[in-house]
Amino acid sequence: MNYETKDLNVADPEEQTMPQTPGRAESPIEATTEPETQPRPMEGMAATRHVRLEGLNAYYGALHAVRDLSLSFEPGRVTAIIGPSGCGKSTMVRCVNRMHEEIPGARSEGRVLLDDVDLHASNVDVVSVRRLVGMVFQKPNPFPTMSIFDNVAAGLRFIGTVRDEITDRVNAALEGAGLWEEVKGRLSSPGMGLSGGQQQRLCIARALAVEPDVLLMDEPCSALDPVATLKIEELIGQLKDRVTIAVVTHNMQQAGRVADTTAFMLDGEVIEVGPTDKMFTNPDDDRTEQYVTGKFG
Amino acid sequence: MEIRARQEYLEELATLERRALDGLDLVVAALDRTVEAVQHQDIELAELVIADDDVIDGRYLEIHQAILTLLATQAPVATDLRLIAALLHVMKNIERMGDQCVNIAKLIPIAGHEPPADERILKNLVTMGKAIRAQIRQAKRAFADRDVDMARDLVRQDDVIDNLNKECFQLAIEIGDEHDRREWAMTMMLVARALERIGDNAVDVGEQVAFLVTGLFREFEDASHPGEEVLPEPSSAS
Repeated sequence: MNYETKDLNVADPEEQTMPQTPGRAESPIEATTEPETQPRPMEGMAATRHVRLEGLNAYYGALHAVRDLSLSFEPGRVTAIIGPSGCGKSTMVRCVNRMHEEIPGARSEGRVLLDDVDLHASNVDVVSVRRLVGMVFQKPNPFPTMSIFDNVAAGLRFIGTVRDEITDRVNAALEGAGLWEEVKGRLSSPGMGLSGGQQQRLCIARALAVEPDVLLMDEPCSALDPVATLKIEELIGQLKDRVTIAVVTHNMQQAGRVADTTAFMLDGEVIEVGPTDKMFTNPDDDRTEQYVTGKFG
Repeated sequence: MEIRARQEYLEELATLERRALDGLDLVVAALDRTVEAVQHQDIELAELVIADDDVIDGRYLEIHQAILTLLATQAPVATDLRLIAALLHVMKNIERMGDQCVNIAKLIPIAGHEPPADERILKNLVTMGKAIRAQIRQAKRAFADRDVDMARDLVRQDDVIDNLNKECFQLAIEIGDEHDRREWAMTMMLVARALERIGDNAVDVGEQVAFLVTGLFREFEDASHPGEEVLPEPSSAS
């Protein structure tokens, strides 16, 4: 495993450590009012990592929600996961960054490979998994008591980024999330004071700040109006060269607009996966056809 | 999974297809009148063909608008999207076939009330008309039944029509030196050419059937590379 400084912390079970990052912040939760400086581009970020799910099964108690699923998320390409409610698509992406296991009674089996490292292996540190695999949720969830700046800085402080670097990386993340121009004059204002679409981009900036390799988005626009939705979709297009992206969506037009590859799930299984244009013009499986044309679901 | 959704939309789509394909019946009616007008040098009937082309044009506009509305409001995908794309093509073919009937009808007064007609050429044109009529009806049936084999068979019929067109040309050459007869024969060659183009449009409708069913668009016959096999394989149907 040739992982570098920002890579997974793979350790012996007795010897788990935090990810290797240069230096530690003095106080991870210290509130600050950072000076406004022009962000530098998020240099060096390039989507290179494959995510491969192999024989993934996920359960909620006795409920078998994801069934022997195999699927890849390719770098530089956006993968959309579509399917009716309850088909297991959110569960599947939550398995990727190991959030599924946080639910009482929930468990999963199978392999989730980031390149050649199994994220579900017992000697892999869950904190480093979540740093490398960021997640954006359906409803924007900025930390309610924190400023715009601190919302983005929170993850950096948690992973121990040195104070000198935090401002640059926060600003770069805000720039990367397409929010910088709108908030640069009010970084110390509360994050909750932003509009819904801005809050969602703030959450994307928060995820980007720790420079993940993979970004999972679970219905990222379902709470947003059409204009805010289009901004997020445009952002996804810009980010796909930097991080490997998977988007769960109910909105098939959105899948058509943002995704290079689309996977259709039904009853916990991937029924069909293929280039998005093919999936929406000439799918192979009749169930995909029935679903995308709105004949069930 | 068995829950039927979007029933209204599906009915709308079915109605749209039916109205569009019924446009082929309008063409058959126009073609019948056109051929009859040619056969009997009936200028009044020819004028009726020209006037009634507004009905075909109106159908084209109606379907075009309905398709735009459906695209804007229902965002059709997969087979539904291919159906709509195919119907747009088919309506254009229908509109063009109507225009070819008008082109022929406009030639009839040029030939005059009592032209020096040659029975062999007229018989040839009537035979062409019947073959094209059958071809259009077969194109409609192939589309409605999603029958790619039936659609591909239109090429075979088109070869028959092409040969009749060539025969017309030969008969015109052989018609002799008399000025009026030569002029009439030249006019009838234009009629034959317009009829032959209607047949080509019927083949184009067949190509849309193959696209609708297989998702692949290929010309059944490539005019720039005659004789080459460009038919989509039946096995490519999904």
